[in-house]
Amino acid sequence: MLLALAQWLAQDVRTFSVFNYITLRALMAAMTSLMISFMVGPWMIRKLTSMKIGQSVRSDGPQTHLVKAGTPTMGGALILTSVAISTLLWGDLHNAYVWVVLFTTLGVGAVGWVDDYRKVVHRNPDGLSARAKMFWQSLIALAVGFFLWQHASLPAHTELIVPFFKHLVFPLGAFGFILLVYLVIVGSSNAVNLTDGLDGLAIMPTVMVASALAIFAYVAGHAEFSKYLGEPSIPGAGELAVFCAAIAGAGLAFLWFNAYPAEVFMGDVGALALGAALGAVAVIVRQELVLFIMGGVFVLEAVSVMLQVSYFKYTKRRYGIGKRILLMAPLHHHFEQKGWKETQVVVRFWIITMLLVLIGLATLKLR
Amino acid sequence: MRAEAAMKKRATSALGETHVGAANVMATPDANVRFWIITMLLVLISLATLKLR
Repeated sequence: MLLALAQWLAQDVRTFSVFNYITLRALMAAMTSLMISFMVGPWMIRKLTSMKIGQSVRSDGPQTHLVKAGTPTMGGALILTSVAISTLLWGDLHNAYVWVVLFTTLGVGAVGWVDDYRKVVHRNPDGLSARAKMFWQSLIALAVGFFLWQHASLPAHTELIVPFFKHLVFPLGAFGFILLVYLVIVGSSNAVNLTDGLDGLAIMPTVMVASALAIFAYVAGHAEFSKYLGEPSIPGAGELAVFCAAIAGAGLAFLWFNAYPAEVFMGDVGALALGAALGAVAVIVRQELVLFIMGGVFVLEAVSVMLQVSYFKYTKRRYGIGKRILLMAPLHHHFEQKGWKETQVVVRFWIITMLLVLIGLATLKLR
Repeated sequence: MRAEAAMKKRATSALGETHVGAANVMATPDANVRFWIITMLLVLISLATLKLR
């Protein structure tokens, strides 16, 4: 919105041309979403508290988490609002990719919002059924996959790029590409949601991965940089740097209130949407496998739950008694059960994410 | 005398390192993370000077 205004003003005052630079608009988007979240955050926490929109804590989880019951939740709505306003202000609204990521984020966010709303306002412990949640997530992901397939103008826009190997790419075809988009968006959405179990655990890795994806988006959208680094050139993808920066800004401001002991939780509305947003950006800039590396903590958390549940069901069927691989799933609860403090688990998982993000960024140069 | 000592103590912690003051009004991890966030913002502003001039 402001880009169009700046371009109009630049006809008379050349100084306004500076807003054509994606880097500046990304910085402004980060600052805008950060300021919105900082200013609205305390008011929203008071409002959620007065409306008694508090988190219910799972009874089979760690006993130390019982004190968290009643902490305001659905704070993710603040992140999504900040990101949407900031992107609409600083992004190029003629760019289709901007609308794709906004559609994905807000669409999946709406699914999470309905789930949270039913749980905490209607006091329905089941919320939205797992099947309904998966149906809506799948529908959105498939719509995105179909649109991107239709929108692709070069074979490189639909190929699977393998990090660290310059010439190793796999043409996917329509079915393979849409399936990949589906798996990445739905997978990352649910993985971030599973990670969101300790104060600050999900949001900081999200900020780090979004910041790295901003760099990938900028490179993909820049003809010279993408050629120099051997990355696929995707005209228009650079605008996603603005969106990613908005996520990073809003995420940092949210962490201010979500750091241990949390004043607010993001809820499904935030976790599902942010995961889907990261997935959508990754598929547009053709960095699905790099997202897999950088979001390694999210992947491990999701895999830990799948292994735990599968092994429990298998042993129950086979031996009549269910056995567990981990002391508790997801993985962060396992380490808590091993005696790590909540803050230790959180900061150590952040450190691991930092290292993984650095490895992911190294794939820009090392191939 | 006791009130004077209490005031002196309060003044000492208020004038001490900022993190001590912050830790008096919030949990230590909370203060840590908020100081990290402020540092991240300052680093971002510094990096922006590369482009904005």
